[in-house]
Amino acid sequence: MNLFGLEWFNPGFLLLLPLALLPWFNHNLDKTVAWVNLVPVDPLSRFFNIGLKVLSTLVIAALVLALAGPSQPEQKVERIGEGAEIVLLLDRSRSMDDPFAVKHQAAAVSVGGDNSKRNVARDYLTEFVRNRPDDRFGFVFFSTKSVNLLPLTYDKEVVLATINANSLGKGLSDTNMAEALLSSAEMFEGQAYRGSRIVLLVSDGGQLLSEEAKEQISRLYKEMNLSIYWIYLKSNQAMTLEESDEDSLLWVDIPERKLHNFFKSIGVPYRAFEAGSLEAFAEALAEIDRQHYQTLIVEETLPHEPKTDALLWLALLAVLLLAASHLYTFWGVRKAHE
Amino acid sequence: MRLSYQKRITLTAIIMTVALILVMAALWMPHIKRDVKIMDALFVIDITDSMNVEDATLNGDKVSRLTWAKEFTRRAFLDMPCGAHAGLAIFSEARSLILMNPVEVCASYHDLTQMLNKFDPHMAWARSSEVSKAVYTAIRQAKEIEPEPTIVFVTDGHESPPINESLFPRFDGKPGEIHGVIVGVGGEDLLPIPKTNEEGEIEGFWDVNDVMHQDVYASLRADTNMNVPQARTEHLSSQKKSHLRTLADRVGFEFVSSPTKPGKLVDVISKVSETRPQTIDYDLYAWFAGIALALILLVYLPYGWFIRTDD
Repeated sequence: MNLFGLEWFNPGFLLLLPLALLPWFNHNLDKTVAWVNLVPVDPLSRFFNIGLKVLSTLVIAALVLALAGPSQPEQKVERIGEGAEIVLLLDRSRSMDDPFAVKHQAAAVSVGGDNSKRNVARDYLTEFVRNRPDDRFGFVFFSTKSVNLLPLTYDKEVVLATINANSLGKGLSDTNMAEALLSSAEMFEGQAYRGSRIVLLVSDGGQLLSEEAKEQISRLYKEMNLSIYWIYLKSNQAMTLEESDEDSLLWVDIPERKLHNFFKSIGVPYRAFEAGSLEAFAEALAEIDRQHYQTLIVEETLPHEPKTDALLWLALLAVLLLAASHLYTFWGVRKAHE
Repeated sequence: MRLSYQKRITLTAIIMTVALILVMAALWMPHIKRDVKIMDALFVIDITDSMNVEDATLNGDKVSRLTWAKEFTRRAFLDMPCGAHAGLAIFSEARSLILMNPVEVCASYHDLTQMLNKFDPHMAWARSSEVSKAVYTAIRQAKEIEPEPTIVFVTDGHESPPINESLFPRFDGKPGEIHGVIVGVGGEDLLPIPKTNEEGEIEGFWDVNDVMHQDVYASLRADTNMNVPQARTEHLSSQKKSHLRTLADRVGFEFVSSPTKPGKLVDVISKVSETRPQTIDYDLYAWFAGIALALILLVYLPYGWFIRTDD
């Protein structure tokens, strides 16, 4: 519950607050005298009397408030950090179940277990996310339809849990890259520009995009100021995204190359990393890691801060004076009775 | 009972001294370690077409089963003790797809609900709904997660294509190996199922001739007692309680039909889960401060209203 700008853990205790007035309404500690006029007028003792009541009220109120458990609610503060906002676009298609970076055809058709492309991608991305404390990550669900599954967040545990979940079970039969690319851009819609924005695509294949999709993508990416990084998990070691003279006829016209050329043509910062081996994959991520330490406004959540100690200190001070005064009274009364 | 002035002064002095010590203890007593039992749960939400039927009750209103499932899951997160973990998955076609492994519910509540809000029928990658197989895949995948979560499968139990009870899909695992709860959602009456198109938008209803009405395998079998013509009602949907109960028995899950209180569901989850202890720092300040307060109040209670204290 929120009250007075503080969060109260046990707000029910606040109902006990009126008890703090008790000291003003009773005469438990008064000495009955035969005739009131016998008591001399003594301003000093009047002062002490009121002072003791104030202290008692204070100690009761402070203890009640401490029991109600106030704390400063979580606060979001902005600070300047170094990092980027990264939308992860992880291919969850069937082909990602195949083993990564095999040298010969026979191994390529076996179903990859621990070294499937999906598992390899998970391992390296986990490492990458862990190393980037100030980055904000988002995650796009990439299937027949795309959904901005996890809006940009600083919560690393959540990002890692989502990356890990991505490697479970079999891949999906159908993925739609154009949709996924558009969804990634939409992730930044309505967000204040904080600094470097990256769409990080990790896939083992490309797709042909319709003219309409291409037009939309290039418009949105420019508008949103996005960079594209594509970690391309090669299924064939020799194939390159760039055309070369030694090209096999088989891969002259493949979708990967078309996608690569499209990314190059839209005029946004773009880099492709062709990962043909674990080292190349690690190197690609390390390279992105180096590149993106730009200044960025980072939102940080300060955990909520209990305020009970301050109240207990107040109670301690009050009860210390009270105890001292009552011990002194006790000593005085005993002396008088001796 | 009447206390003399001298006794009252003595008692007050003692109480104040004890209260002083208690407040000091409240401030400086080190935290003690205490074990709390926490659980790991994986919520699997059915997002197939039949979940769009509006026959679930939420706050007195009729809402779609999916809306109910999402809202109930969100409230269940709130009722789980801090330290417990929750993950999210969706079910469509014949499999469960895990989208977030279990994370701590209190710290990550915001992101959990963000993701949960995104769940809707157009995430479905196919237009079939094979509940039992989806439960099996959820179990298989849960085994890969460390520590193994309890599965909370929220569904109406509508199988499409239908399955004949005697030709239940085979379950390879050991019943009870992974713990779980099947949460049934939906009403008793057969209602038409909204049909979603490619874009995931609702376009009319499934027609009687759009769907299969009999188990494909059963219709191939010669033993005719399986092939008695049945009412053609598979285009309509209600909560399939008996089917879900059978399924729950088969995999060793609990079955809860349309729970009304999220807290109750969390109790069931915690009952079936292998809870694991987690050590937390426990601050005893509340006890010390509480006792100190009670003692001080003893001094100031208005005894005078009930008994005469003068002497």
